[in-house]
Amino acid sequence: MNGPPTTDLAAMLPVAILTSGALVLLMSEVFLTSGRRGYQAGLTVATAAIAAIAAIAVPPAGRIFGGQAVVDAFSVFITVTVCGGLALTTLVGAPWLAERGAERGEFYALTLFAATGMSLLGSASDLLVAFIAIEVMSLSTYALAAWMRRGRKPAEAAFKYFLLGAFSSALFIYGSALVYGATGSTLFSAIPRGSGPLVVVGIGLVGAGLAFKVAAVPFHLWTPDVYEGAPTPVTAFMAAGVKTAAFAVLARVLVSVWGGAALASSFGGVVAVLAILTMLFGNLLALPQRSVKRMLAYSSIAHAGYLLVGVVAAGAAGARESAISSVLFYLAAYTATVIGAFAVVGALERRGAPGEEHEDSWDLSRLAGLAKRRPGLAFAMTIFMLSLAGVPPTAGFIGKLLVFKAAIGAQAYGLAIIGVLTSALGAYYYLRVVVYMYMRAPEGEEEATLSPSLTVALAASALAVVVLGIGPEPVAALARAASILTP
Amino acid sequence: MASSNLLSIVVFLPLAGAVAAAFFPASESGQHRALALVVSLATFLVSLGLWFGFDLSPGAPEFQFQVHVPWIASLGIGYHVGIDGVALLLVMLTTALTPIVILSAWNAVQDRVKEFMIALLVLETAMIGTFAALDLILFYVFWESVLIPMYLLIGVWGSENRLYATVKFFIYTFVASVLMLVAIIYVGGRAGGTFDYVQVREVFQTSPSAQRWLFLAFAAAFAVKVPMFPVHTWLPDAHTEAPTAGSVILAGVLLKMGTFGFFRYALPLFPEAALHFRPHIATLAVIGIVYGALMCFVQKDMKRLVAYSSVSHMGFVMLGLMALTAEGLTGGVYQMLNHGVSTGALFLMVGMLYERRHTRAIAEYGGVARRVPWIAAAFVVVTLSSIGLPGTNGFVGEFLILSGTWLGRLAHAPWFSAIGATGVILGAVYMLLLVERVFFGPMTNEKNAGLLDLSLREWAVMAPLIVLIGVMGLVPQPFLAPAKQPVDRLLTRFAAAEQRLRDQDPSRPPTTGTQPPAIAGRE
Repeated sequence: MNGPPTTDLAAMLPVAILTSGALVLLMSEVFLTSGRRGYQAGLTVATAAIAAIAAIAVPPAGRIFGGQAVVDAFSVFITVTVCGGLALTTLVGAPWLAERGAERGEFYALTLFAATGMSLLGSASDLLVAFIAIEVMSLSTYALAAWMRRGRKPAEAAFKYFLLGAFSSALFIYGSALVYGATGSTLFSAIPRGSGPLVVVGIGLVGAGLAFKVAAVPFHLWTPDVYEGAPTPVTAFMAAGVKTAAFAVLARVLVSVWGGAALASSFGGVVAVLAILTMLFGNLLALPQRSVKRMLAYSSIAHAGYLLVGVVAAGAAGARESAISSVLFYLAAYTATVIGAFAVVGALERRGAPGEEHEDSWDLSRLAGLAKRRPGLAFAMTIFMLSLAGVPPTAGFIGKLLVFKAAIGAQAYGLAIIGVLTSALGAYYYLRVVVYMYMRAPEGEEEATLSPSLTVALAASALAVVVLGIGPEPVAALARAASILTP
Repeated sequence: MASSNLLSIVVFLPLAGAVAAAFFPASESGQHRALALVVSLATFLVSLGLWFGFDLSPGAPEFQFQVHVPWIASLGIGYHVGIDGVALLLVMLTTALTPIVILSAWNAVQDRVKEFMIALLVLETAMIGTFAALDLILFYVFWESVLIPMYLLIGVWGSENRLYATVKFFIYTFVASVLMLVAIIYVGGRAGGTFDYVQVREVFQTSPSAQRWLFLAFAAAFAVKVPMFPVHTWLPDAHTEAPTAGSVILAGVLLKMGTFGFFRYALPLFPEAALHFRPHIATLAVIGIVYGALMCFVQKDMKRLVAYSSVSHMGFVMLGLMALTAEGLTGGVYQMLNHGVSTGALFLMVGMLYERRHTRAIAEYGGVARRVPWIAAAFVVVTLSSIGLPGTNGFVGEFLILSGTWLGRLAHAPWFSAIGATGVILGAVYMLLLVERVFFGPMTNEKNAGLLDLSLREWAVMAPLIVLIGVMGLVPQPFLAPAKQPVDRLLTRFAAAEQRLRDQDPSRPPTTGTQPPAIAGRE
């Protein structure tokens, strides 16, 4: 044994690039003399771009490291989506942090480490590798959530996130242990070999751990507080990246479970119930929120529900490819949309002195009359809201179309109908944002500042939302190609 | 082929104009008005190419000016547009009304003119696209895209209670439409993974119970848009609060999307289910006719009155469609045009009065004909058209609908016809009462003493509509002819569906088509 073959290592190039970028940024802070940190964000974006290019350029190696990881079109899609989300987050985050005097190399390093974990999760096909990847991702995001630690809300958010996150990790690892006990292997592909209560409980616990990460009801309780308390760019990154990665591994686990004969029909009902609860409660709880940030937090729960509908549809063998590709497309669309929406929230956020807190930092009234003050910003936010609501011609509509089409293909008519009805419910609170921006008089004179990098991020995500809505075929074709999971 | 791209040009020219307008400075409102007017007039002129290029000969293809290119090929979704005669009429209605609407908003809208004009132009593209689409998903995309500009038009430029009205409008129509989306996806899946309407119509088959659910899902979306009793409640609010331009577009074109949806999608795709639910829908239509008319009697607000009259008039259209006779269907199509022209004109006139006095309350007026004889004259002409006086367009439509229903084989058809006819009488009463209260009698309110008569611009707004009212009343044939073939095709489909049902149950009496004249009306 001379260690893993070089081809296996080469297949992990994107992960290596992200990690190296993180290390370079960590070191940069040590050698920093001038206090000028403008290059750090640029470096992060460049790293993300190079990692994405590497992911596309390196031919998929299939099963590597003895089958513990897989590099296939699916993992490439996840990596590229995560890197896109990372780049957008960085562009949004740099000015946000700079305005608050909180820009440090470590921030970017942590986002890169988190992205490393997310990318690895897309490849994981072994419970232990998945666990390590989850921990890499989670530990970084715990720290990121605590970035603006001087304050009650951020501290609460970080602490809550850490505790509940650790709890969910414990569930995951305990479930893995049970599965190992039942099957003698930690590989996803070995799961169908097992049968009996041990493996069922094991998978259940693994699933519960992942349900925490995707914020499915009833494992969602941490989400609103954490999303609200974390720095806005971090929230955006969590909503987009963590969700993408967690759904990737959830899809791989469940498809493995459903791939075998013994467990083929189990868990489908459980996931369906989770999906219904998540769609229903996510939307119902978002309805009364006046804080836009908190509303988006609940809405991210609701979107996890729609994604779960896609995952359920993957349970039907005939609809598996279309279901997985719909989840992938939805994740890409949601990444572009939600980061854009949080970017607008971040730009309008009330800035107080350090430690000072306002209850209404993200109140709807801060958006009042935005269309008059900042027509471009209001227009972009409108696009994001319409996309979240699933109104054509936006990316969100195509995403929902694909997910519900997969559900109907899998004969899950009830899920599709509940899905569209709850998304109609969602239209109400998304439109309320538009109402405030376009139909209310401005309150207060505070001006939102738009730095160039934020403008670029907003333009890029708005453009992505519209392009994915009008010409979804290229990305939909990629998602389709990525939908056949390497066992 | 140049002629085939003509339709796409008509669809997207307004959108191109909206994009161009985005680059003009917002402070130059004059430029935006002029640009929007020019673009909409150009769209109208190009659409005349459709009107004169449309082949009405008996052997002509059903859908003309077709363009069919893949859009999301992996899902079987294509950019497929094409129009039959009915769609042609509605596209022409849209392209003709839009410049009129823009001209009518010339002075009324002073705030955010740029955004207003952009919203109107985007709306025009979405509306034309809805009529032109021949792919179910494309249709849905256009159908939903209509909501956003309309939502903004009411919400930003509406009157006091606009937020409530616009949110209600959006939620009603959106909730009903998403169910249609589920049905569309199901239909596409059952039709072998294509959403192309022409293909789907040929190959789609499903169980009777599934067909009924699908029909209900489509019908829900369309019934809200029409709007049919009892899901009409968004309409009075939306109409009352909308700016004049919004009301005109809403009444003139948007409501027709609902009846068009029945004609194009719900009826031909699910004929058996349509036959099953026909008595219920016809009943609701008749209730709508009478209820809408009765509600008009108690309205104090002119716009609200006209809005309720829309509920009544659209009930006629639905009744005509449900008659499933050549006369009824043709009358229904014709009445769509009439309602677009005459109710559109009514809203324009109410808007003109509102611009002068800033009130829509009927009680604030009275005897103003002496001050504004031309407005009064135009209003009377439009009113006569609206109540279906012979010689105006309204008469042709209502006569066809009522006689078509009477001759139809729908159970108790004469009753539907008779009760529907009371709507005509009630309509005459409430409209003439409105005219009397507003324009005639003694002038009691001295604020009306300074009213000005029609300006040159307002003449330009009203003249085309009044001419249309006369022409469509006296020479209806050019406007009826395009509807003939689509109506015949629909009836053929229903005859086939009926035959299928009779194969299963020979005792089933025929319910579609016209009764032989000898027994008509003897029931």
